[in-house]
Amino acid sequence: MSFRAPSILPGFGLTFGFTTFFLSTIVLLPLAALVLAGTSMHWADFVHTVFSARAIGSYRLSFGASLLAASINLVFGFVIAWTLTRYEFPGRKLIDALIDMPFALPTAVSGIALTTVFAQNGWIGRLLEPLGIKVAYTWLGVTLALTLISMPFAVRAVQPALLEVQRDLEDAAETLGAGRLYVFRRIILPTILPALLTGFTLAFARAVGEYGSVIFISGNLPMKTEITPLLIVIHLEQFDYQGAAALGLVMLVISFVMLLAINLLQAWGRRNHVRTAS
Amino acid sequence: MSITLDQVTKHYAGVPVVNDVSLKIGDGEFFVLLGPSGSGKSTLLRAIAGLTGVEHGRIALHGRDVTHVAARKRGVGLVFQNYALFRHMTVADNIEFALRVRHMRARARRERRRELLRLVALEGMDQRLPAQLSGGQQQRVAVARALAHKPEVLLLDEPFGALDAKIREELRRTIRQVQRELGITTVLVTHDQDEAFAMADRIGIMNLGRLLEMGAPHDLYSRPATRFVATFLGAANLILARRTPDGIQVGATTVAPAERASGGRENEVVTVVRPEEIEVAATREELASGYLGRAVADEVVFTGSFERLRLRLEDGAHTPRLAFGDGEANAALQVTRTQHEQRLYEVRPGQTVAVGVRRVHVLPTPLSSFTACAPDAAQAQQLSRQPLLSELAARMKTRIATRVEPQLGEAGAQCQGENTFVGTTVIAAGAHAAARAEWLLRRGARDLLVLPDGARAPQRVLIHWIGEAARSATLAVSASVLRHLAAEAVYLGIFAPGAGEPPPQGMRELLDARSEAQATHGLEIRTELHFGDSAAELGRRLGDSPGQMLILGLGQLGEFAQRFGALLDGGRWPVLIVHRGAA
Repeated sequence: MSFRAPSILPGFGLTFGFTTFFLSTIVLLPLAALVLAGTSMHWADFVHTVFSARAIGSYRLSFGASLLAASINLVFGFVIAWTLTRYEFPGRKLIDALIDMPFALPTAVSGIALTTVFAQNGWIGRLLEPLGIKVAYTWLGVTLALTLISMPFAVRAVQPALLEVQRDLEDAAETLGAGRLYVFRRIILPTILPALLTGFTLAFARAVGEYGSVIFISGNLPMKTEITPLLIVIHLEQFDYQGAAALGLVMLVISFVMLLAINLLQAWGRRNHVRTAS
Repeated sequence: MSITLDQVTKHYAGVPVVNDVSLKIGDGEFFVLLGPSGSGKSTLLRAIAGLTGVEHGRIALHGRDVTHVAARKRGVGLVFQNYALFRHMTVADNIEFALRVRHMRARARRERRRELLRLVALEGMDQRLPAQLSGGQQQRVAVARALAHKPEVLLLDEPFGALDAKIREELRRTIRQVQRELGITTVLVTHDQDEAFAMADRIGIMNLGRLLEMGAPHDLYSRPATRFVATFLGAANLILARRTPDGIQVGATTVAPAERASGGRENEVVTVVRPEEIEVAATREELASGYLGRAVADEVVFTGSFERLRLRLEDGAHTPRLAFGDGEANAALQVTRTQHEQRLYEVRPGQTVAVGVRRVHVLPTPLSSFTACAPDAAQAQQLSRQPLLSELAARMKTRIATRVEPQLGEAGAQCQGENTFVGTTVIAAGAHAAARAEWLLRRGARDLLVLPDGARAPQRVLIHWIGEAARSATLAVSASVLRHLAAEAVYLGIFAPGAGEPPPQGMRELLDARSEAQATHGLEIRTELHFGDSAAELGRRLGDSPGQMLILGLGQLGEFAQRFGALLDGGRWPVLIVHRGAA
């Protein structure tokens, strides 16, 4: 493979250099340091830290709640994106702008706001209490916080794809005899599937890395409502840098594997599309 | 009949985009809907397909009323300008889409697909993706897809718009061939007249939501009935002429019109002269056709097989007046000449030539031109620039002259100008309008428009006539006005109060009027029944809502000013008076 890609713009060497330098200093090097710090422990200590019951509970919550949050956003993010692209209504622009709020808000603020509303004496928490549903200080609260902060990713990923589904396609399918559900399943969904997966991946990645909003609403009970990033911080506060690095390494590996899996799924889906004919 | 449309109407935001369209398309016919963008032709096609609902009227396919049937159950095939292929599916999957929806077996699907691909000459392309095909090939796939479920009707919405000229030509031929082979009734929507000529068995021309005229391409080209069709279908010179007992007097010459002249008195008419029907020679004697006048060549453009000239007619006593143009400066004659004609007589820019006409077609339109009439020149000038009048004149491609009558409306006074009136005379509404109107009508004005200062294009035109002598003329004038306005037409039947229901005689006249409007002018009108005094009821109905105009036919004048004074002197609505019958 040649490094001389044909392009009308000069400076490939320079830009490629910048790209590798930039990625190295802010992504690869720190990650390498993490790996180094994590693996420099004694094997027994490493296993002890990483497979302690508390750590395993935190993995389950972190990845479970993140997957759940991303799944919720997959469905409702699509619905929101659909509403915003397909219908004209007063206030559409405003709602469209509101989507980005969780991006801009410091996550701690989101956490405090959610806690205020969903705590047992909060506006909504008060209504849910008699029903036996507790949101704040349970895994439900964690999921809620993760759903809120990852929502914009799901919506923004699907929106442009939906805009590209021309009305003519639906009209054509309709004149050919297809019902609405069939049109959705066979025409709209396949067209936006890659975007949906991208949205899901981004939302999931964001949720796994979230810290600020969750610590307020989760209550941080070990084994129950403690997420891995929090556990890492706890290790840090006890000056157990190696333990923190070990947990970080586990998160890194799991995240990497999951993202890889989703990417492979996406690539497979794309190939499969093309072959549906046979 | 494969497709029957009956008074189909569709509004967007209160404006009729499809306005009372009635149409019958026969089995196996290739029908082209031709019109400028925004004329409503695509909306009409979508209404036939069922993708757009209609507010009024009926749509039937093969005798089955489908007005309220969903698109997927109508059995039509639709082809879009941008192909609208499913990009994530192969050619095979695209074509089989309609068959899969219908749960057809795989083997039968495959056979049908092969057959269709052969039909559109794309054998072997089954496994390609749309992105791997050229534009022309994609549109062929779209045609095959639209035909897969053996629809009864094929609808094509500007299918060649996105293709370049050569591919377009080829695809046209393919589609025409497929259509003939299958004998499928086809409607094609286009704004391209070449396309319409090349493909159509019959063309329907739309403008402002109305279906103006229908007919075989040649008939429409050589004998259009409206200015719009004359100028939209190819180039046309609209020339004002006089109809005399001897024939049509155009400029210095009188020619027998191409078709039998209807009787009647001498009047101004609008004639169509195609650019290829104009002859150019060095002198009047060398012309083989009727002499029109002398002209200076403004522009000579060589376009390959033809030469295009723009000629400016010289002023003279018999100079024919061109109907189109804001002033004399724009009054240029368009001429096209073949290579052969060019070789016989060469024309250079600036050269003075003698101009003759070979063939003249008289438009049946009753409204030829406008004359703004007022007591002094300033008022006449001001009236001639009234927005509604300017708009009407521009849309009708006609001109507005002025006429000064210092004693306008004074009893016993004579006309100051020529004692004849040509075209439609226009006066301002307001004080004295009724007296002035009667004054002009008694002195020979036949069509008189009374125009309030701020009047704009109306959304509804009310039509009423008193005396059967005025019926035909009123309908003809109404049709002519409505062809140039996006407005709905309502006929008001007004009967004497008391009886509670209209007399049988009156009802019959009303129905006759409706069918005459439909048959002769292609004009769909709604009817409303009122009881009471005509003038009072008209005033009341006009006052109901803004944006209305009245066309009032009169068989005799009677006590005109006294009777209709309130309608005209109030100065709130445009009123067009059509006076026919005994003077």
